[in-house]
Amino acid sequence: MATFKEFAASDIKTAKSFLNQLVDVINEDISGSNTRKQYQVFVTGGIGPGVTSSLFQTVFDQDFTLQTANPIFDVTFGFSSASVLVANSGFTIDSNGKYIFSSQSLMMREKMDLYRLHAQALLGDASEEFNLTSGSTTSTIREALFLDFKRLFTRDQIKRETFAIKLNPSAALTGSYNLNRVGAATTKIYSDIGSSENKDFSFGGQVSTIVDSANTALPVGLLFIDKGIAVLDISRSFDQTTFLSGTIRGMHSTGFVGFSGSLAKFLVSASVDDVLDHICSTRFSGSAATAITFQNITNINSTIYFCNLAADEFNYSSNPTFVDADSRIVVIDEGQEETQKSFVFLTSIGLYDANDNLLAVAKTSRPILKDDERNLTLKTRLDF
Amino acid sequence: MGFLQNDTNNIILDAVLTDTGRQFLSRNDGSFSVVKFGTGDDEVDYGIITKYGRTVGKEKIEKNTPVFEALTNGSYAQKYRCISVSNPNLIRLPSLELTGEGIDSTARIVSIGNTTTKRRQINVSQTINNEQTIDVELRDQAFIVELSNLFLQVLGSAPDNIDSQQRATYILTRDAGENSLGGSRLTLTLATKAITESQFQVYGAQYNKNLISTFVKVAGIQSGAVYEFEVQINKTS
Repeated sequence: MATFKEFAASDIKTAKSFLNQLVDVINEDISGSNTRKQYQVFVTGGIGPGVTSSLFQTVFDQDFTLQTANPIFDVTFGFSSASVLVANSGFTIDSNGKYIFSSQSLMMREKMDLYRLHAQALLGDASEEFNLTSGSTTSTIREALFLDFKRLFTRDQIKRETFAIKLNPSAALTGSYNLNRVGAATTKIYSDIGSSENKDFSFGGQVSTIVDSANTALPVGLLFIDKGIAVLDISRSFDQTTFLSGTIRGMHSTGFVGFSGSLAKFLVSASVDDVLDHICSTRFSGSAATAITFQNITNINSTIYFCNLAADEFNYSSNPTFVDADSRIVVIDEGQEETQKSFVFLTSIGLYDANDNLLAVAKTSRPILKDDERNLTLKTRLDF
Repeated sequence: MGFLQNDTNNIILDAVLTDTGRQFLSRNDGSFSVVKFGTGDDEVDYGIITKYGRTVGKEKIEKNTPVFEALTNGSYAQKYRCISVSNPNLIRLPSLELTGEGIDSTARIVSIGNTTTKRRQINVSQTINNEQTIDVELRDQAFIVELSNLFLQVLGSAPDNIDSQQRATYILTRDAGENSLGGSRLTLTLATKAITESQFQVYGAQYNKNLISTFVKVAGIQSGAVYEFEVQINKTS
């Protein structure tokens, strides 16, 4: 007799399950200036006001000044030290190993450091390079666009063969000053299709190859599904022939300089903010259509408590309405005491410790009848 | 020949941790250990059975009772627990009554002071109407007392737990003797803690800042019977 019933060891089981959530990132969150936050930590001295820039930007799901905004991913880019863009920039290396570049480039060391940072985290060695494999052919990503998805959206893992990104490989093809104009209508979709059959591992965990969905033999990037980081090869993902022109931040009395040239030249000459502004605002059109999508995986560890209510258990209640002012149980009609038995309606299960502390509580969706003619097993699941 | 409908025998419920559960889990010392369960029926109004009879009343309770969301505050999540009694022919259930110092039993209020009358000895006793004796199984061997740890304490006892809402829980053993019905008794001394002037300003009643109202819950472990009463703490008495 009691208000509690102890669990037997066989009444408690553990189970593991998985939850998938579909994540959609829309174009205007990436392209919009209110949803993409800059952290201007890089400052130059010298001529004019100098140049300030972020080392990465964060894309939010709404205006980032709102408290309800959630960060979706950080975006940045970087170069391998073996990149042709580094080699063609005319650098020297001082006695401390520091790269010194010509005045026609900007933030080159920072761009190389960003590549090294990701290589360290994902490949285990800052001096390694990201390699793409297609069949027996291997190529190297030396100019990389990094999309570092937040844990809020990747949860425990990105699910294989669910990642896709749609972008404009080109900037606007006609007219001048196209640095900030939305790209041509032709878009491409890159996805990790086929990754379920080619499960690769690296220092940074499981990795999928991102391919051109129209030509799956063409790899364009890597997706580190445990880390939640996509690495796109800029030279393969974007059109290299588009002529770009406009104004960029530079060492000038006005703080800006004119620019014209290829995407490769732009990556060298512009600040990280200018490059990210260009990629985000022109390669993702400002619509509500999906730009990036994937499914995440949340691993759920559950303890299942089998609450066995035998026929003769829990048929009375301490609910004050269960008895009248005369202490009489109201669910038994007067004069019917020999034929009618007590019953209750359960609405909750409480899980208690040995000191009667309520540790967890579960509610039913509706009251459940319990009387001496029925036994119940309520499976109460506690997720961790 | 018929088939038993077995679907209600496989009910899956999702549980949520209470604040106490989270607190114990965060301690990382093994204090989170589920060993037993209880069932509750807080939302159910059994008076419907009196009004509509057993058949219609059951249907009305089942279909018309909205079940609230699970509360994470352990003090309120499962107030009224269901009881297991081996005697299937019980007609009456015992309840708890309160006697002692400073009690207005009609209004269920205990008055206590913050200066001269800082202690009140009260008695909680099991009672039952129109019965000669209380069923042996329903005689409480211990009581759970919940009160605000900010203002009150049970003299001579240490709380078994204090939750994040500053609700202290005491598990107190019954007195040695029994009352004339065979019911259990519990004698305890409530005492006010050192309550500051600023606490009276914050927690005092809007109409009288010299008066703090707080609630105490006493539950019998075996009978499940619950008695809640208000304690009014007067700053000047």
